[in-house]
Amino acid sequence: MAQEKTYLDATIRTEFGKGAARRIRREDKIPAVLYGHGEKPVHLELEGHATMLAVKNPNNLLTIRYDGKEELALARDVQREILRRNIEHVDLVIVKRGEKVVVDVAVHVEGEAAPETVVTTENATLSVEAPATDIPEFFTVSVEGLEAGTQILAKDITLPEGVTLDSDEELLVVNITEQISAEALEAELAEAEAEAGIEHDESDEEAAEAEAAEGAEGESAEGDAAEGDDSEQE
Amino acid sequence: MLIPRRVKHRKQHHPKRTGMAKGGTEVTFGDYGIQALEPAYVTNRQIESARIAMTRYMKRGGKVWINIYPDRPLTKKPAETRMGSGKGSPEWWVANVKPGRVMFEVNGVSEEVAREAMRLAMHKLPMKCRFVAREGGDI
Repeated sequence: MAQEKTYLDATIRTEFGKGAARRIRREDKIPAVLYGHGEKPVHLELEGHATMLAVKNPNNLLTIRYDGKEELALARDVQREILRRNIEHVDLVIVKRGEKVVVDVAVHVEGEAAPETVVTTENATLSVEAPATDIPEFFTVSVEGLEAGTQILAKDITLPEGVTLDSDEELLVVNITEQISAEALEAELAEAEAEAGIEHDESDEEAAEAEAAEGAEGESAEGDAAEGDDSEQE
Repeated sequence: MLIPRRVKHRKQHHPKRTGMAKGGTEVTFGDYGIQALEPAYVTNRQIESARIAMTRYMKRGGKVWINIYPDRPLTKKPAETRMGSGKGSPEWWVANVKPGRVMFEVNGVSEEVAREAMRLAMHKLPMKCRFVAREGGDI
């Protein structure tokens, strides 16, 4: 839960617009904006690689060093390219020591539920109010041995000291349901395949079996015919 | 198969294929997904084939989400017909998929099972795709 300090060195941006932003990105830097607590927004340039590592955990507390000053901040929004996943822009919100902030924290599911069940994570993040300097990285939910029909709600998750739930207590987080029966699944898939006109190719094993069966039949038929010929000759 | 129940216009212009996906670019419901890397029209038959391929591999474990819907009709004129005399009859229902769109998602299975199930499903789709995971989004 306790976070290591992550420092990000920044310089103040003086030119704006897409042309300037693209020039910044070409130099492996990221345009960013720092705001909050009633202060004027400050437009910054961040180091590309260091920022990428820093925002891997979305709730990482960052210390931004610029213009001889230091500000604690959280990454409120990280804009990425859709396909290449490069960071295009970061919104940083100023936080103060001792202040509580509302953040979305990931929920990790661990353990194996009872056999014949499907574990579905209905809400992968939980909105909580936590001290800005002590935001949990994730919450762990154990589903070990849980039976079908069990529902883990937001209120069932154990929160660390100083952290309170900000979302609805009855919010469904993990749902454990019964697996569909093999017959029902096969019937559903067969119906869907028939509707879509999907035909199965014979597998090698099936083809070999069919061939062997045909061979056996052929041999017996030939044997019968040979016996018949013999009797005719006589 | 997915087909709209009622449409306002039976025959439409061809949907535009330029640009990138505007939304639906992250894995939202499940843990793993298939992301389109190229634009394509995905027919309802292809969607269904991909779903069946995934479900067959995952057997009874896991849940599948389909994030695209084939709501655009494409028409075709009959063979050996002279040009003119109006637009052809609706032949296919397609989803207009742009690069970046997460089309399918799965949950409740291990990464290896999800990866293989989605590899099989990708073979049923008409464009280049990749396997993506929640958190970070890129593998």
